[in-house]
Amino acid sequence: MRTYLRLVWAVARKDLLVELRTHERLTAMGAFVVLIGVLFNFSIDTALVRPQDIAAALIWMTIIFGGMLGLGNTFRLEQEDGALSGILQSPIPLDALYLGKVLGNFILLSVMVALVFAVFGLFFSLQFSGNPIALLGVVVFGVVGFVSLTTLFSAMATRSSMGENLLPVLVFPLLIPVVVYGTTATDRLFAGRPVAEVSGNLRMLLAFAIIFTVAGAGLFRFVIEE
Amino acid sequence: MSFGLEAVGLVRTFGGLRAVNGVSFQLHPGELLTVFGPNGAGKTTLLRMLGGVMRPTSGQVRVAGAPADVASRDWRHRVGIVSHQSLLYGQLTIEENLRFYGRLFGLTDLKTRIPERLASVGLTDRRRTPVRDLSRGLKQRAALARALLHDPEVLLLDEPYTGLDPHASGVFREQLASLKDGRHTVVLVTHNLIQGLELADRVAIQIQGCFSSVTDAGSLDLSGFQALYHAAVADRA
Repeated sequence: MRTYLRLVWAVARKDLLVELRTHERLTAMGAFVVLIGVLFNFSIDTALVRPQDIAAALIWMTIIFGGMLGLGNTFRLEQEDGALSGILQSPIPLDALYLGKVLGNFILLSVMVALVFAVFGLFFSLQFSGNPIALLGVVVFGVVGFVSLTTLFSAMATRSSMGENLLPVLVFPLLIPVVVYGTTATDRLFAGRPVAEVSGNLRMLLAFAIIFTVAGAGLFRFVIEE
Repeated sequence: MSFGLEAVGLVRTFGGLRAVNGVSFQLHPGELLTVFGPNGAGKTTLLRMLGGVMRPTSGQVRVAGAPADVASRDWRHRVGIVSHQSLLYGQLTIEENLRFYGRLFGLTDLKTRIPERLASVGLTDRRRTPVRDLSRGLKQRAALARALLHDPEVLLLDEPYTGLDPHASGVFREQLASLKDGRHTVVLVTHNLIQGLELADRVAIQIQGCFSSVTDAGSLDLSGFQALYHAAVADRA
């Protein structure tokens, strides 16, 4: 088990190291988040709409669209100079390769999510009166589900001639449960509702995170093998 | 005694196209087989199947007598691949690339192993250089260090001289020659007749997916082989 986890971490570590060198994905996601924050700030008439009431939807839409910008490129690096062939020729189990990519993406997206909350908190002066641990749970489970699904479909899109154009078409319909449960739970927590009111949403988000991750690990080899 | 590398009736189809069509051969440990063929003959597809990167439509690869199934991973410790692509990450240094691949192969002695491999290909001074900043020749030497990092018995070389200038080509050839130590079984795929014949023990010509001939290289001279090659290619054209 420790050997397996070491392999997962080796893949994630390599992806993060490459990102630290290039800042390619974080820059794209970060710029998107800030721009969206600015645009929403100017486009929402706060005299008519309380930002607090729509914050959850804006936050999750920004996470999904911003995340797609970065995660869509997950396997592009592996394509350069044949690195994917090098990995496929190595003895790493393909599910460990998948989980390593998911872990790397999760860490990257967590940075972006922190920025989303900071930007929206700043622009809209959001007041949070709910349970922060519950909000953390909603975000973590939601992001794990999103990352697991997008990583799998990113590999699929890389193999397809339609490439990244195909990714949103494939992923968005399957993300509906994450968006619905994530938005509802976040909305209630921002409104200061008790944790009991979001426990069902939390369980559903956890279930989707587990299902998407286990299914992704199982299906990955069919996507990546030639 | 089992063969170092064995291909049994390898076939790979892409839709209606048979890229590799029933290729079989057996190599003893220490032998070097050069596979020649024109563009589109299916040489790279053959090598990708031998390396476990691509699943054959039918047929089998055996490494040291054991079936080398794409789904299983253990036999991969015995095989290394050098391609015309480096299979390395350009943003990472040579040392970081080797450390990453070493971890994938479960190697625990990387602190000593990586400097040894880098020294063997003359890249000790460049170990902290990002791969993207290397010349083509140095990149190919780094690729060889990567392929040999886990000390494989079988080495698969896919057009390794592509893009190398004569000097870099000569240096790389010397490094390949050092692999003829009786322990490494090597398959070299190329369309360059001169470079391919230099080190070969056996040669094969692959045309339209099939091996049209497999010959001992000792009995061949360059001009005779050139005539044989061009006749074989013309025959199938």
